[in-house]
Amino acid sequence: MAGVIDQYVASLRRELDFDPALARRLAGEVEDHLRDAAEADPAWPSADAERRAVERFGVAREIAAEFAADAVDRQARRTWVTLLVTVVVTFIAMRLRAMWLDDGAIPALAPLVDRYAFIAAIAVGAIGGFAFRRSPLAFTICLGGLLASIAAGMVRADLFVQGAPLPVLLAAAGEIALVGLLAFHVVGLSRRLKRTAALRGGGR
Amino acid sequence: MLKGHLDAIVLAALEAGPAHGYAIIETIKNRSTSTFDLPEGTVYPALHRLEQAGLLSSTWITPPGGRRRRVYSLTKAGSAALADRRKVWGRFSRAVDTLLGGRAWPA
Repeated sequence: MAGVIDQYVASLRRELDFDPALARRLAGEVEDHLRDAAEADPAWPSADAERRAVERFGVAREIAAEFAADAVDRQARRTWVTLLVTVVVTFIAMRLRAMWLDDGAIPALAPLVDRYAFIAAIAVGAIGGFAFRRSPLAFTICLGGLLASIAAGMVRADLFVQGAPLPVLLAAAGEIALVGLLAFHVVGLSRRLKRTAALRGGGR
Repeated sequence: MLKGHLDAIVLAALEAGPAHGYAIIETIKNRSTSTFDLPEGTVYPALHRLEQAGLLSSTWITPPGGRRRRVYSLTKAGSAALADRRKVWGRFSRAVDTLLGGRAWPA
């Protein structure tokens, strides 16, 4: 039968399921800590000594919530950096399209969407940045603006794909890759926020 | 209130040399003469956070005949951060001392 310390370490690993690498690393470290603490107890060896060590360590869910909150901060920083890089690359790609492509044969709306969806994305990003630093909704709206800009850019580039210069195609590929990465980070941020709320609120 | 200063307290506890999590908690308890008797587990998120920020580094060691342990030590950036936080704390505590110094404020 598993001892008190083993049960506690197993429960901490379960609570840290949002980051399996951290859960593995911490399990060994916490077990060492708890065994040191139990061995320093006058009642060692006994289940009571292990129980007191576990009580002094704190509630597993609350400790996991601290880690989850830190993970949200890190994920928000990653998302912001990706967003900034995506905005810069999208802007460069947009300028390249304006300089190199002839828009005469494409729907008149495409260059407008290309430009104004990008501006809208920047505006939402700036407002979201100040007002909701970690809001997946602000990131998602911003992502939507960038996607619209990129899609319009594709319409412009596609019609000229035979003659599109290499820099235009490379910049478009960079845009698509970065938007994909940004979407991945936004989903990650949303999941981590939900997990932190669940750990703090007692849900799953 | 203690939680806001936990990172600086952990950095200070490691100033004397590398230590594992349990030893860090014991140092904090002893140095604060048990005033800071926080749940022991709260030190691990702080250690992880400080390591991610590059202020601490860690490595597993196995002492002869002992249990394998993850040992933390201050990095150069960690020592500099500790010096900065000491300065900030010095200014803050002097200001609070002046405000709460026990003498009634002039009306």
